[in-house]
Amino acid sequence: MYGFEAMTFNIHGGYLEAIVRGHRSGLLTASDYNNLCQCETLDDIKMHLSATEYGPYLQNEPSPLHTITIVEKCTLKLVDEYRHMLTQATEPLSTFLEYCTYGHMIDNVVLIVTGTLHERDVQELLEKCHPLGMFDSIATLAVAQNMRELYRLVLVDTPLAPYFSECITSDDLDDMNIEIMRNTLYKAYLEDFYRFCQKLGGATSEIMSDLLSFEADRRAVNISINSIGTELTREDRRKLYSNFGLLYPYGHEELAVCEDLDQVRGVMEKYPPYQSIFAKLSYGESQLLDKAFYEEEVKRLCLAFEQQFHYAVFFAYIRLREQEIRNLMWISECVAQNQKSRVHDSVVFIF
Amino acid sequence: MDSTDNYLTLLDSLSSTLRQGWLDLAIARQSMGASRINGALLDHKSHSAATSVQVDQEDVDSMEAQPRFSLLYSSDIAEMPQLSEEKTSESGAQLDVDDQIQKERAKLLSMFGTLISPKLRAAQLSFETALETLVEIANMRSAMLSSFDRVRKELDHQKDDMEPVPSGRQ
Repeated sequence: MYGFEAMTFNIHGGYLEAIVRGHRSGLLTASDYNNLCQCETLDDIKMHLSATEYGPYLQNEPSPLHTITIVEKCTLKLVDEYRHMLTQATEPLSTFLEYCTYGHMIDNVVLIVTGTLHERDVQELLEKCHPLGMFDSIATLAVAQNMRELYRLVLVDTPLAPYFSECITSDDLDDMNIEIMRNTLYKAYLEDFYRFCQKLGGATSEIMSDLLSFEADRRAVNISINSIGTELTREDRRKLYSNFGLLYPYGHEELAVCEDLDQVRGVMEKYPPYQSIFAKLSYGESQLLDKAFYEEEVKRLCLAFEQQFHYAVFFAYIRLREQEIRNLMWISECVAQNQKSRVHDSVVFIF
Repeated sequence: MDSTDNYLTLLDSLSSTLRQGWLDLAIARQSMGASRINGALLDHKSHSAATSVQVDQEDVDSMEAQPRFSLLYSSDIAEMPQLSEEKTSESGAQLDVDDQIQKERAKLLSMFGTLISPKLRAAQLSFETALETLVEIANMRSAMLSSFDRVRKELDHQKDDMEPVPSGRQ
């Protein structure tokens, strides 16, 4: 029964909730970002980050630094924290934490398959994979020629196996059907995660439903915008949208037929939570749309911490860290390219 | 001086086009994620170049040949501009050329996926423009060097003409 989690949650989840709230207080603040935005070189960024929780991860990196090095080392911090929480978690929290990483697993599978199609070395591809999405037999993906083999040889023993039922074909893998596979897998994953959270019930279900619905809606908008001018048909586009969210089902019907950004805007402005996002954009502008969505997401993720005794704080923390790493990547790119005037275009403040 | 001014203007234009292209690429990576836009996805299969540079020797004023650079696109597109030259009044043929160019561009970007950010397409356009500017710079430089050679030769001739004829007295 919702409202009585306070009686039993701390038995199994109290320690880890305290841990994740401690981690949350280590997120970079606005003054940290202001200092970072004024850096002249990547070594300056390293020096400023040495005073934060990223310090131990960057201190041994030799100069000259690269943007990708900063991102990789900062990601390692998130991975260490996640693995500690996962090893300490009991069911159902451990399954919940694993669900949080399936998105990265899908990205890694697609990276290996695409890279192999382009005749790249598997070791090189493995180094580019996200550490949160690694699994034991990932290197074997390189031998598969079509999706049926992909499933039969490798993925049948992974958590992604149930998501493959909708995209198993014997067609050889190419760029288009890999993209369809990526989006179909992600759709199935989001729907499965949503159902899992609904089964958990209580505050976890309520808060995660809101966060996952937002994710599904954002995906629908991005798929619509990115498929404009491509060979993806309206029917195929419609099939990639998730079967939940604020836009389901009528918003999806309208988005499926949009031919430009202004039509997408026209659809989204009918939904009050998204009116404010699109109101910030001038007509035809797509660059600020990503930032507007990220800002809205961060607002919702921070609100998850306002309530206790639920699992959504773990999901929120992982997403906030990923946003922080995206911010650091953007700041590093602007500094490396000597484009400091553009640094505030994509930085999303968390606090 | 006009040539030098044009040359410097082109260099400036190249620099700003490339900066915009790199920034658009960074924005696309921010939007799509670092795993979707990285060097490990570049296609190592052997395939013909989408664009190549052709060097012709151009006779200038019947004097020394001056190299002239031009861009050649892949064979599918190369035939289309010839079609458009013959039928420029027909808007249908022009639309076919544009469609073909869009398809070629989409094909080149497909290594990053088919549902890509508009910023990645903008980055591709910037780098294409930069390539065209580079060819213009090469031609401008070639013309400037050729003019410099001609001026230097004329000055050498004039110097030879003005040298006093040595007298017969010893």
